[in-house]
Amino acid sequence: MKLKNLLWVVVSLVFVFVSSSAFAAGVIKIGVQAPITGSFANEGQGIDNAVKMLVAQQNAKGGLLGKKLEVVTCDDEGTAVGGAICARKLVNNGVVAVIGSYSSTPTESAEPIYARAGVLQTSDATADSLTKHGYWTFFRNSCPNSAEATFTADFLVKDKHFKRIVVLSDYSSYSTDLADATIAALKKIGGNVIYYGKIQAGSQNFTPILTKIKSMNPDVIYFCGYYTDGGLIRAQEVSLGIKAAFVGGDSNDNPEFFKLAGKASNGVYMINVPRPDILPYPLAKEFLKDYQARYHMMPPSIWTLFNADGLRAIMYAIEKTKTTDTKKLAAFLHNLKDFPGITGPITFTKDGERAGSRFMAYEIYNNNQYKVVYKED
Amino acid sequence: MEIFLQQIVNGLAIGSIYALVAIGYTMVYGVMKLINFAHGDLVALAAYVGLTVLMQAFGMHITNLWAIILMFVITALFISLCGVVLERLAYRPLRKAPRLSAVVSALGASLAIENGIMLIWGPNIKVFPSNVFPNMRWHISGVVINSTQIAILLLSVILMLALYIFINKTKIGTAIRATAIDQDAAKLMGINVNGIIIAIFALGSFLGSIGGLFIGIYYRELYFQMGWIYGLNAFIAAIIGGIGNIPGAMLGGMLLGIFNVLIAGYVSNSWSEALTFVLLIIILIIKPTGILGERVAEKV
Repeated sequence: MKLKNLLWVVVSLVFVFVSSSAFAAGVIKIGVQAPITGSFANEGQGIDNAVKMLVAQQNAKGGLLGKKLEVVTCDDEGTAVGGAICARKLVNNGVVAVIGSYSSTPTESAEPIYARAGVLQTSDATADSLTKHGYWTFFRNSCPNSAEATFTADFLVKDKHFKRIVVLSDYSSYSTDLADATIAALKKIGGNVIYYGKIQAGSQNFTPILTKIKSMNPDVIYFCGYYTDGGLIRAQEVSLGIKAAFVGGDSNDNPEFFKLAGKASNGVYMINVPRPDILPYPLAKEFLKDYQARYHMMPPSIWTLFNADGLRAIMYAIEKTKTTDTKKLAAFLHNLKDFPGITGPITFTKDGERAGSRFMAYEIYNNNQYKVVYKED
Repeated sequence: MEIFLQQIVNGLAIGSIYALVAIGYTMVYGVMKLINFAHGDLVALAAYVGLTVLMQAFGMHITNLWAIILMFVITALFISLCGVVLERLAYRPLRKAPRLSAVVSALGASLAIENGIMLIWGPNIKVFPSNVFPNMRWHISGVVINSTQIAILLLSVILMLALYIFINKTKIGTAIRATAIDQDAAKLMGINVNGIIIAIFALGSFLGSIGGLFIGIYYRELYFQMGWIYGLNAFIAAIIGGIGNIPGAMLGGMLLGIFNVLIAGYVSNSWSEALTFVLLIIILIIKPTGILGERVAEKV
């Protein structure tokens, strides 16, 4: 008799525990997968900050579907392995959607895991391949490399009339993708690429390859890796007395670039989507004001704002469809058209690509000041 | 031709940094038969400490020259001390243990220092000011040489000569060589082996710290994992030259620097790292003790 009673107590206790954890879903969990540490730490922290701020604002308005939102952050260190580990952690944690990661490599390694688990993923990463796999869970909140590639080719050939073009990338999937797309776009409009080289990110000593490039007498060196290498490449280019212009792809556009390149920053061309503070949209101004009030600094870059837009689109979808069923959310997002965003109207195509965004070319003067020198039409 | 000479200049600058760092590996190996994997991270730590000292010194209204001297002196002393503390904490308790334990301890120390740097200075890159050495450039028939490269080369050669004289002409140097040959016999001759081991850790870390400062001054970008890449290259340099042999480490560093740039310049930049290891394998096959390594009789 006693034993039976005990058994009942145990069974009911177990039931209480199980049900409390299952129905503690009085919250909707939003995941952040971002490089909180590592070379892109400030970008990762920016994404995390932005998501936490928007979620806090939404919770202040009463959350979504009567539930509070909760942020779960995972540090992928910007690596492929880290991305896969984070994806499993976040899926096990029961998140509805994941914001991030910042760069393409960890985003790509996490994609299939989210797709299998049916967790929505929105990232600013720009490798074309990300939307080519056909995962219904993936939504790009920025624009792909191919859009930047076309713009870059036009700038180099049609606007600047460079005759001898050198392209440099690192080995990351983002960078090689962008380099390949740019070379293809250049060839299409008759650009003359005399050399395509790859550098080892973080190796710091770029003088051997630059000396080799010097002997080819290029007009321009186009580098589409990250600012941690780009700033050094520019500094070493100038100190080797190479006269070629330097054009940096979007990931060079970071204040650290100017610190690394020092005086050599002057005359550098940067190609990027508009900087946060020159976005014309009222939502952008409001976002920046809130961000500064909360964190006492500006977001590290435009990429923070893209990811914020990804989150806003997902929150909007939950609100409109009144569900957290990701199949329905994805269907809603795939048909989303001109939802007002921080970085301009948000429209997703059927393959999760964000339609219609604009690049600009800037010239750097006074070591860190920007001047728009070229934009399309 | 001028491109070739330019590559050699590039190679000598990076090579002398490798050489300075390689000496730390080779000295410790020579005396203790231990590969001190934490050495590369001490080099990275030196660059960070140097930057911090330099920033403080710039704030003290002293001339640039004094600020630089202060940076070198304080960093070198501090890192030498770190080397000694490292030996005391991570290696001495394991001196009688199997060699594998000491290697694991070395890897642990390496991770501890690397992550310590991240916790203290943060995960973002740090940038050295660009005006540490006066920024002068000379164009000699198409070859560009800057003042930093010359300073690095000169200071490295002076330091290495000083070390060579110290090891070969002084009493402590003789004691170090004796300890390297046979610790027990050295002990019987009245040499304080613990003292010698402390001395080599201090010396190796001292030269490594100068290497770390040069990395900061020359390349200017610091990130917390940078110790690994320089440590690995310097380690290869030490093996190429003949690990345990001090002139070998100097030669190995210079050769590696030049080999790297020639591969990057004339074969393929992408292959320079892979071919470095191929070179290492070839040298180990032809001469397992390295270029200047002496034949060591196997102890029975």
